[in-house]
Amino acid sequence: KKTNNYKVLYLGHTLPQTHPVHKGILEFKKSLEKKSNGTLKVKIFPDGQLGSERETLELLQIGSVAATKVSAAILSNFVPEYNVLGIPYLFRNKVHQFSVLEGAIGKSILEKGSKFWLRGLCYYDAGSRSFYTSKKAIRTPEDLNGLKIRVQNNQMAINMVNSMGGAATPLAYGELYAAIQQGVVDGAENNPPSFVSSNHYEISKYYTLDEHSSVPDVLLIGTKYWNKLSKQERIWVQEAADESAQAEKIFWKESVDQSLKTIKDWGVEVIIPEKSLFAEKSKNVVINFVKKFPEMGKLVKEIKNN
Amino acid sequence: MSIEIISIIVLFVSFFVLLLIKVPVAYSIGISTTLSLLLNIDKLPGLTTIAQRMTTGIDSFALLAIPFFVLAGEIMKQGGIANRLINFAKSLVASLPGGLAYVNVLASMLFGAISGSAVAAASAIGSIMTDRMEKEGYPRALSASINITSSTTGLLIPPSNILIVYALASGGTASVAALFIAGYLPGILLGFAIMGYIAFIAISKGYARGKRSTLLEVWIYFRKAFFSLLLLVVVVGGIVAGVFTATEASVIAVLYAAILSLIYGDMKMKDFPKILLISGKTTSVVMFLICTSMAMSWLFSFEGIPEMISTFLLESLNNKFAIFLAINIILLIVGTFMDMTPAVLIFTPIFLPVVTTLGMDPVHFGIVIVLNLCIGICTPPVGTLLFVGSGVANVSVTKVIRSLLPFLAIMLGVLMLISFIPEISMFLPRIFGL
Amino acid sequence: MNKYEVTFNKVNKILEWFIIIIFGLLVLDVLFQVFSRYLLGTSFTWTEEFARFSLIWMTIIGAAYLNAKREHLSMDFLYQKLSLTNKRKASIVIEIFIFLFALIVMVIGGINLVYTTLHLDQLSGTLRIPLGYVYAVLPFSGFLIISFSVYHISKIYSNKNIC
Ligand code: NA
Ligand code: NA
Repeated sequence: KKTNNYKVLYLGHTLPQTHPVHKGILEFKKSLEKKSNGTLKVKIFPDGQLGSERETLELLQIGSVAATKVSAAILSNFVPEYNVLGIPYLFRNKVHQFSVLEGAIGKSILEKGSKFWLRGLCYYDAGSRSFYTSKKAIRTPEDLNGLKIRVQNNQMAINMVNSMGGAATPLAYGELYAAIQQGVVDGAENNPPSFVSSNHYEISKYYTLDEHSSVPDVLLIGTKYWNKLSKQERIWVQEAADESAQAEKIFWKESVDQSLKTIKDWGVEVIIPEKSLFAEKSKNVVINFVKKFPEMGKLVKEIKNN
Repeated sequence: MSIEIISIIVLFVSFFVLLLIKVPVAYSIGISTTLSLLLNIDKLPGLTTIAQRMTTGIDSFALLAIPFFVLAGEIMKQGGIANRLINFAKSLVASLPGGLAYVNVLASMLFGAISGSAVAAASAIGSIMTDRMEKEGYPRALSASINITSSTTGLLIPPSNILIVYALASGGTASVAALFIAGYLPGILLGFAIMGYIAFIAISKGYARGKRSTLLEVWIYFRKAFFSLLLLVVVVGGIVAGVFTATEASVIAVLYAAILSLIYGDMKMKDFPKILLISGKTTSVVMFLICTSMAMSWLFSFEGIPEMISTFLLESLNNKFAIFLAINIILLIVGTFMDMTPAVLIFTPIFLPVVTTLGMDPVHFGIVIVLNLCIGICTPPVGTLLFVGSGVANVSVTKVIRSLLPFLAIMLGVLMLISFIPEISMFLPRIFGL
Repeated sequence: MNKYEVTFNKVNKILEWFIIIIFGLLVLDVLFQVFSRYLLGTSFTWTEEFARFSLIWMTIIGAAYLNAKREHLSMDFLYQKLSLTNKRKASIVIEIFIFLFALIVMVIGGINLVYTTLHLDQLSGTLRIPLGYVYAVLPFSGFLIISFSVYHISKIYSNKNIC
């Protein structure tokens, strides 16, 4: 929308304002407004004010919202290539993860979105997801047997938990706190900052750092909005995004350290298991995925060999 | 004038004009939202956004509890459960001066409690009680007033559809289980306050006492109502004990009520399609209101109205009590012209951040906003419960309003107690650790 | 009854059965979800999505049915005081407003929404059905509402005694 002598970039996301990724997005705003000398203003709507992740992506396609930040897991329902990033134990470690994401492979996945009117700008570190349980500790994959674990409504996540022996239970995030507390589910999985910001640590006894998946967050801009920007403006937007991604990694690390401290201080037992045992159990998920989507096999191989 | 201000004026003026000329409430909300949004966003994206918000606004598993509790209530209404509750209530309180008036309150409370909807309670109990009370000399308008106001207790006593809507609007900061438990004491308190006022008029007007029931009779009527009352234990107990989520509990309520009605023999299998249709219609009225309200709520967020109001409240009234009072007054005004569901959906995101900043628990605020809007559904010009209650009692709305005024004053008093004494709401959730 | 009335009644009957069937399926679906978790110890991933999408369809088709019956919640505070002639005029104005909203938002906005989501291949999380099919209820219902409004207006025009 053009008002007087500046353009406004409306950006909606679902995180609370204390979240490290929100702080990263604030860096994007600061940097873009500075680069453009105030001719591009960013208005951020946190807390899901403009809708859920799926709904906001649609609003980008529709053209009423300019930009958003979503998890790559949700994005995979729009742009199939992002499915690959949800594969369990895809990355060897954080260095490997970001050399892939910030290298040619990552850029090519971001590009793929343009076909679906969702142009990827950069990846934000969203850490690794691990299990937390309220009654029974998970020390080996066998401990998962029969446990009802809440997962996101996403096929890859469901298959992964089932293959490790748990009973994947997709449940709305809003119902989860009560569901854990009352024992409708035995546990769930998430990264440390979300484990804390959702207050689920208050009602969990164990946090098992098996780090089964490292799905990043993605900052996106709608191509409808992007196409209206001048060449110079596009450069500013991309540069601001890249700078914010570097800043966010630092915020993320601080937040993980802080969160783990909060979790331990509360009395949750943090378990460091033998990750390879979990990775072994989830191998079939990857094999089945590649069987089902042969065209993704190449991408998986490229990432693993990177 | 800035574009934001103009679009807010357009929104409110068009909304009121449309309401006044009897455009359905859901459409009035939708049309005024459209007019206002088109001032902000390009035409096609704007229209498409409203279409999307209308659909995704009801894309929630939690909202499924609404059709299910409506259906359970309808089955209970048709299945002879209302009569059993009235007889049980009668055996308990009919021997007091003004006995039938208490029966009306207690039966409306019990029915409202098990059905989750005040309108279901008012129509099920009101249609039976008004005639019975008239025979003993109670004016019909008075019976209607008692029936209407005591039916609102069912919105606080769980299960309650509106508390589910609030949980959704709070973005998950208040759980349905906690809200349900929190509603008990305020709902019962409201019922007792209404009974207190009845005691006052019954004695001053010399209304008749009914005959005293023996303990054996109480036992007999209790046994006949037992399985209807047990539904409460199954549903709320199931949620609190973690057997199922609130939505799942609502479908258990349907199953339970259906089996009970079939066993009582007041209903047959072939009655179900008709009951599904009636409940489907009732559901659509509420849910379509949610559709357009969600679009309006989105527009408010997009224009930064929640932020504006919260900044205004926090900066201009820097006193906690003054802010709570101001919010209550605004909600009372909103309640006069807006139905409960859209009001909760539109105003929760606006006020919740303000009150939580001031240290109020989201669960407590849920009880306050619901009780406040309970007054609203009893008042003209938009007062669903008032219209339904007057309708089933067969009295003109104007007559009912006159005898309703003291009852509204009672509700207002209870609202103040609930607003400023958090313990009334928060005591039980704390005990249950919710 | 003229042929328009016959069609109108037929459409209503179909809508009634649609509401009954989808509501019945909703009850069975969620019951199945609860019992499968307790008796079979497994959760099926599709029950939740099926329930959510059915609720959307039932609500928005139900809204069209309410338009046919003119049973949406409205406030007749002022309306009650009007003379029959003015009530007739007001009823026509109301139907025109409903017509315009259904046309502009539900049909035009809705078709664009369906087009966008189908064109861009968005699939639902577990059932893997195109989201466009879910949204299609909006233009479909919008079209019904438009037809009902035209029907009501023509009825009011042709009969001086109804409003
Ligand atoms: Na209730
Ligand atoms: Na009112």
